[in-house]
Amino acid sequence: MKQRITGIRLVANSIKWVLLLSLLAVALLPLLWLFVSSLRTNLELQTNPFGWPKTMQWENYAKALSMASLPRLLLNSVVVASCAVILNSAVTAMGAFILARERFKGRDVLYTLLTAGVLVPVISFMVPYFSFITKTGLYNTLLALILVYTAVNIPVSIFLVTAFMKSIPRELEEASVIDGCGFLKRFTVIILPLSRSGLVTAATFCFIYSWNEFLMAMLLTSSIESRTIQLGIKFFSSQFITDYSSMYAAVIITIIPSILAYVFLHDKIIGGLTAGGVKG
Amino acid sequence: MMKKTKLLAVLLMLCLMAGLSAQGQVDSGVQKEVELRWASIWVGNDSKAPAVEALVNEYNAKNEGKIKVVIEPQPDYNAYEQKVRTSLAAGQAPADIFTIKFNPTTATFYQSNLLMDFSKVMSSTWKQTFDAGSLEQSTVDGMMKSLPMETAILPIWYNMDAFAQAGVKTLPATLDEMWAAFDKLKAAGITPASQMTGDTNAWTSMIWFSHFAVSLGGTNVWDKPFTDPAFVEAAKLTKRMITEYSTSDAVGLGAGGSGGHFLAGRTAVFSNGPWYAGRADLAATPFFGSIKIAGLPAAGSTKDFMISRLQANICAAATKDKAKEAAILDFMQYLTSPASIARIAETSGAMFAIKTDYRPVKALQKQFYDVASAAKTTAFDLEAALGAEVTLEFAQQLGALALGRISAEEFCALVDRKIER
Amino acid sequence: MQAVGTQRSRVWGARALFLFPVLLLFFFFFLYPFVFTIVTSFTSWRGIGSMKFNGLANYQKLLGDPTFRKALGNNVIWALSQGFIQVPLACLVAMILVRKPKGWRMLRTVYYLPNVISTVALAMVWVAIYNVEGPLNAILSSLFGMEKHNWLGNPDTALFAVIFQTVIYIGYFMIILLASAMNIPRSLYEAAQIDGASTFQQERHITLPMLRGSLITTMTLAMAYGMRHFESTFLMTGGGPAYATTTMGIDLYLKMDALRYSEASTAGVFLIVMGTLVITLLRKIFGSSDPMSEMAQ
Repeated sequence: MKQRITGIRLVANSIKWVLLLSLLAVALLPLLWLFVSSLRTNLELQTNPFGWPKTMQWENYAKALSMASLPRLLLNSVVVASCAVILNSAVTAMGAFILARERFKGRDVLYTLLTAGVLVPVISFMVPYFSFITKTGLYNTLLALILVYTAVNIPVSIFLVTAFMKSIPRELEEASVIDGCGFLKRFTVIILPLSRSGLVTAATFCFIYSWNEFLMAMLLTSSIESRTIQLGIKFFSSQFITDYSSMYAAVIITIIPSILAYVFLHDKIIGGLTAGGVKG
Repeated sequence: MMKKTKLLAVLLMLCLMAGLSAQGQVDSGVQKEVELRWASIWVGNDSKAPAVEALVNEYNAKNEGKIKVVIEPQPDYNAYEQKVRTSLAAGQAPADIFTIKFNPTTATFYQSNLLMDFSKVMSSTWKQTFDAGSLEQSTVDGMMKSLPMETAILPIWYNMDAFAQAGVKTLPATLDEMWAAFDKLKAAGITPASQMTGDTNAWTSMIWFSHFAVSLGGTNVWDKPFTDPAFVEAAKLTKRMITEYSTSDAVGLGAGGSGGHFLAGRTAVFSNGPWYAGRADLAATPFFGSIKIAGLPAAGSTKDFMISRLQANICAAATKDKAKEAAILDFMQYLTSPASIARIAETSGAMFAIKTDYRPVKALQKQFYDVASAAKTTAFDLEAALGAEVTLEFAQQLGALALGRISAEEFCALVDRKIER
Repeated sequence: MQAVGTQRSRVWGARALFLFPVLLLFFFFFLYPFVFTIVTSFTSWRGIGSMKFNGLANYQKLLGDPTFRKALGNNVIWALSQGFIQVPLACLVAMILVRKPKGWRMLRTVYYLPNVISTVALAMVWVAIYNVEGPLNAILSSLFGMEKHNWLGNPDTALFAVIFQTVIYIGYFMIILLASAMNIPRSLYEAAQIDGASTFQQERHITLPMLRGSLITTMTLAMAYGMRHFESTFLMTGGGPAYATTTMGIDLYLKMDALRYSEASTAGVFLIVMGTLVITLLRKIFGSSDPMSEMAQ
């Protein structure tokens, strides 16, 4: 009997690790490929996409680092992504609180309306966005990008954060009301901390989106002062020729900040939740 | 908790203020200087970038205090085209000066009153520096709202080293000779030609198809319905190229893959424009010195032609400001002067619609110029003649044709449906 | 009496204040553009020139277009694949990781990494992998003796190939589910352990029920992404070959390229309406309980 149980456990364990490791390989593959490719020459890349560099082309990184205005572009990306995240999180937290914890007529309709925005392919809104941004004089500003990125992520953020907020048990809130918590205190003392994981998840998505976004950035800006790093990477391409190896080096360089941001912010904040539980 | 919120609020305000103040446009206090913004694609990696930037700097130096041309870099071409379309649709010109790829789709931009009509303001001396044919092609309903600048021919590229390996010493002169040469290449283990049906325009195969179609139907073949026998036969020939004489990944392959096969020496015949000649990775190939540029053997009765197109036309925003209009015209005249164009051509190997004395010295680029001048007539390729939408349908259905799922007649009928007459 | 009155208006004031920012942004960046899109869908507008009202003509043309119908079908397949394959896979991984096996921190980070890299890079790698002479065929032919397929160039396999390449990247949905799973109190598991429940039983009776709401949320989100899918397919196949992999999003994009703005708007409206219907339908069929009704406690 015991042998059969341990047998099953062994099989289940192996399946588990096969799954985890094969998904790991699949997830690491693009990053590894990018890194290896960034050390090859363009001819090597053109003739065979998979292969090892004949000699390590570290000068590709020198080329990538000498990209015009690299520090300014990186700074812009950091500012835009951070501001979008802060604004999006603040706006979402406040709105989701009402949608999740308050009851009023038309709440469901409002919620459906807001979250239906997830279905919108943003490319179809290019003309109205351009029109709006130019007419309000925000063309070619970082603020334009911040607002667009904040707004575009609202449906997903609202969707997620509302779901997290609604999973908090009523009793906690009711207890706090009995203890004398008013509207604001309910929000800041009870709901906000307990939906932290949802907020951080939504914030992570917003950050990564804002960091990687390119089309709107290209559409709504025209000079280095308000452009982000994703446009800088494109300088290795032109109408006919793309300097792929230098571009990949540039991509690797720009991935590092977003990986760091993800690891520190997300891991630190969500990781810290494993200790504290919701209920005693 | 409250301290954190306060800190967050302050941080937010600071960020917003930083964002607000990061205005891209420079506020010029001097009213008299006219600032022209050029949304330029000739930046960064583009071979024309250094010459263009130098020309702009010299112009600004010469006109200091009066006119200043500011280049707004547009590094990604697809995104740039989106920007042009989006801004025009939103009722604005993308910049004071910008370029377009001229074809039936972009020709509709002429209907907008956002573009400056050059036909009204061009002096005849200025006009004469342009190739007359290109000017005519850029005129729609008497309006000329863009000036032809960069042109291109789309010839066939032959790797003569590979041919020599297969025992073929000269370029095939007839279609039968071509099939025979291709069979020899296959016997020698070399795939004869790069073909592709991927991307939005099946670029390499689209060029081959254009050569076939023009040879079979004449230089005005594009005016005929797509169900014309010339197109059907061209489709059959292209299908044969893809299925019998190309790589196994041709269906769904993109331009990068098609070029990659040629660069690696896996295919012996390729097709592309003059820009490809300046590539560093091409120059690094062992067969670089043995590339021959020529047309295809004639499939029909039309011979001695070359496929040629307008690659970039330059447009300007219409403006009521007389000073600005004068500045734009002054700069455009400078940019399109034979002296300026010669400089750009020299360092880039590109071809232009403006007549200059420049003749390239590098062998491959010289071949391009020689082939272009030797051609008795020219004809458009499919994309330049019929526009983006038709070309997309062409590319999508070419895959089906190559896989044998539709016949050549059905293929032509499907493409014909997308042509607006 | 008066105290209650001011109390209520104060609550309403607070509610309005909290909702105001989100509604303001939504108004300018979703509502106004959507109205614009709806209006232009009833016109014939080519970007340049005037908008002429032409009633339902665009809609009739759209519904009669076999390419668009194919696109709609493909989007439904995408929605089902992402909602019912990708999300359950992500859930499985989340449930494994929450028990903190060896190296779980590293795994959790690495699984999300592909999302940090842009879609363009991902698409390029997989186009190379799927190539006839690429590594996938090399492995399949050496291990299983399969002949080499042109995965992306064959209308029969292209859709499957692109979907597969999306579905195995579970990071995005995994971190949502992981966040929920980590909220489940340890004490429940400890109690079950004491009662002698096996890991399997614990997962079945504690984790899954507690994750139910989050699962429904995630599946709905995944289905929405499926309905609006555009980028990775466009980068890998451009919608082909012969429109085999096209989606409504791609169709919309290509229409804009051709300056057919009205028709693009029509496709956009249709996508949003259809998407809402499909998701509502799927949720009803699979008997999910609406999180909203759960809130009516």
